[in-house]
Amino acid sequence: MTVKTKRVFIPGCSLPSYNPEVVKKTLEYLQKKLPGTGAILKCCGKPTKALGQVDKFKERYGEFQAEVDKIGAEEIIVACQSCFLTMSEYSPNQKVISLWELLPEIGLPEEAVGIGKNSDIVFAIHDSCSTRNRPTIHEGIRWIMKEMGYKIEEPPSTKETTRCCGFGGMVVPANPDLALRVMKRRTSEVESDYIVAYCAACRESMVKGGKKSLHILDLIFGGPWNSKSQFPGVPGTPVTSWVNRYKSKRNINKVLK
Amino acid sequence: MKKVTYPKEVLDKMQSIVDDCMGDAPAYCEAECPMHTDVKGYVNLIAEGKHKEAISVIREKLFLPATLGRICAHPCEDKCKREEVFRQPMAVAALKRFAADNYDDKKDWDLTIEAEKSQKVAVIGAGPAGAQAALDLRRKGYDVTVYEKLPVFGGMMRVGIPEYRLPRDIIDHEYSLLEDIGVKFKMGVEVGKDISFEELKRDYDAIIIAIGAHKGVVIPIPGHDMDGVLNAVEFLRVVSLTRKYDIGKKIAVIGGGNVAIDVARSARRVGVEEVHLICLESKPDMPAHDWEVEEAEEEGIILHDGFGPERIIGTDGKVGGFEIKKCTSIFDGDGNFNPQYDENIKKTLEVDNVVFAIGQAVDSSFVSEDEIETVRGGKFKVDEITLQTKTEEVFVAGDASGRSVIAVGAMAEGRKASLSVDRFLMGEDMYEDREGEGSFETWLKTELDEDEADLPRVKTTQIDPNLRVQSFEEVDLGFTEEEAVKEASRCLKCECKLCMKECEMLVDFCECPKELFESILKTGEVDPLIPYSCNMCSQCTIVCPEEFQIKDRFMDIRKLMVKANEGKSPIKGHGAIEVHQALGFSKLFNTAKPAKKDDTSEDDVKDKGRA
Repeated sequence: MTVKTKRVFIPGCSLPSYNPEVVKKTLEYLQKKLPGTGAILKCCGKPTKALGQVDKFKERYGEFQAEVDKIGAEEIIVACQSCFLTMSEYSPNQKVISLWELLPEIGLPEEAVGIGKNSDIVFAIHDSCSTRNRPTIHEGIRWIMKEMGYKIEEPPSTKETTRCCGFGGMVVPANPDLALRVMKRRTSEVESDYIVAYCAACRESMVKGGKKSLHILDLIFGGPWNSKSQFPGVPGTPVTSWVNRYKSKRNINKVLK
Repeated sequence: MKKVTYPKEVLDKMQSIVDDCMGDAPAYCEAECPMHTDVKGYVNLIAEGKHKEAISVIREKLFLPATLGRICAHPCEDKCKREEVFRQPMAVAALKRFAADNYDDKKDWDLTIEAEKSQKVAVIGAGPAGAQAALDLRRKGYDVTVYEKLPVFGGMMRVGIPEYRLPRDIIDHEYSLLEDIGVKFKMGVEVGKDISFEELKRDYDAIIIAIGAHKGVVIPIPGHDMDGVLNAVEFLRVVSLTRKYDIGKKIAVIGGGNVAIDVARSARRVGVEEVHLICLESKPDMPAHDWEVEEAEEEGIILHDGFGPERIIGTDGKVGGFEIKKCTSIFDGDGNFNPQYDENIKKTLEVDNVVFAIGQAVDSSFVSEDEIETVRGGKFKVDEITLQTKTEEVFVAGDASGRSVIAVGAMAEGRKASLSVDRFLMGEDMYEDREGEGSFETWLKTELDEDEADLPRVKTTQIDPNLRVQSFEEVDLGFTEEEAVKEASRCLKCECKLCMKECEMLVDFCECPKELFESILKTGEVDPLIPYSCNMCSQCTIVCPEEFQIKDRFMDIRKLMVKANEGKSPIKGHGAIEVHQALGFSKLFNTAKPAKKDDTSEDDVKDKGRA
């Protein structure tokens, strides 16, 4: 019997390398609310695009698109802002929607509602610069934070004027000192010691910039978080990230077995 | 990596940034200054307490900082953003004076010159135009001699501008640079009398005429030839040189400009008790600066604004009164000077003298019309761009050509003439690259922040009016350090460079995007680290008034570099990305799973929660 898969969840690369547990829980939640959701763990090729490798990117994206087409999904749910932009541009036959736009529609998991209302932490919101022109994503993030009950801070540069976390454009490997300065510049305009991001690379940059930082999925599927909580740092070696990514793959396979 | 060749469409987009980026646009003050003094630069150094550095910035362009700090008509202040928005311009001249009076040290003066050249240049006139020309040519190594008919330096700054505004020792001190650097002076030598113009032409390879406009003008109204009718130029020259003038107790001065004010105030200092100042314009429209009119009135000058001359009356050929009439309009419908009067409103002033301060003419009698053409007022006709006359080795600078009326403008003309002389003597193109000479309109466009405070201009202290009319002591006492720093701190530092404030990366590699892309266009090369240091975040574009898509330009370059580097980034650190990508596409780390089989049947039912 052929399986009809209406939509596919794409966690991206950085999130699965950061936290395999939230990848699993997100997918499980989507299963519950939106049955017929598949998942693809595969790079969209954005890094090659960012480097200017036009041909390489075409080849990579082609491979990714083939997977989407094979599954037959009409809709792509992304948890990564770079994926959002890339897929919106290069997958004209699929409807691309951000998880942060989707959650306000389907609601948060029951256990997440009000989870942060007694927290002593104020989370400054760091918007990803790649989707600065997508207000529905900004609104979604703020709705999620409000729904959970966490207090928030809007930095001076926020939403459409948000500042780069320092990770963009593949600058970190090219000019690490500069990237670190950009990270610190971004965190220095924030009053709170805590920043919530919705991109795992942004989150890591916030930590490198000297703040305690979480991915918004850490808040939805974990916590309650308060000043006594142990906050995740930055990966010690690339191996940690690859192990996480491998675990994410296994988690996806488990959920959709 | 092979050499990158940029296709036309990529270059064109870079060119549009070079064409319209305002990053290197001079501030309004600097563009307006005929000498393009870095006003913003030195004003802000004063604000930071770096007064010594401030004077050295001033001296890069001006050899007369203490002089100009007193008498410059400062067109820069008219263009100051604080003038435009709040009518409270920066006190630029007073700040210059502060730096010059307190921190200018002769020991620091730049006396360097290029290798000596064999050609000789004569400059006629030691006013600001002639002195600047002489200085610039001497710095280039020419043998320069200045001929001055007066026994003193400074031209109109010396015998036109009164001593109470500009103490004479300051002029001499600042002019000593010219002597120190090897400019020769023939003082008290009048060309056309003591030495012929023909002789100069014989002895010198080039001549710059910078004789100013020292001929007084008198309107031929009835009674103008009476005893007691004077002209401003002659009056001010005598007062400047002797501090005296044989004049009556009551006088009338006709004219509405700064010279008329200078005459009126000088007259008070040589014993005149009642000075009437008559001008066609109403007070707010007088050509004289507002503060000069104000200072004159403080000194008891009686202003009759909106009046013109009818006739001078008197007995036995001696002035006894001045009849004036109400002026109803000055210019006709075509904008020509054509004053109209109300003949029913007249008044007669009882005066012993009438002084005409209505303009000056050039005494061009020492040279024949065949050699150099003249126009109205004896002014020499010159080529607008080169200041060259029809006699090719003769150039004209300053008031003598009628192209400038203020000291700093005359200096710029002197500089222009000197550049022309240099090119003429070197056999170079006389017309190339001359757009930036003299005042121009900057291509900078800035808007003030809405919350920018209207900080009032700090005023200098002046001697009490009752005391100051008793002598030629300097009236203005200038700024104290505290006042100077406070005033300098008001500067809005007008510039664009909004992207430079936003982007960490651009700051590392350039002064502004224009500079960066100009160099790429010129050399065809760029350090790969530059395009690969862009975060691609668009923050520059958001703040750019021209909305330049700078990240797209960097992406164009990245793509071309990858192409020229066998499909790979030229940045060493990006090797890790290659590995990352290889792993990211390996089976080990990938999965693609369709939806669970048993879900499909309920799909549409459970999906209804979504909008």
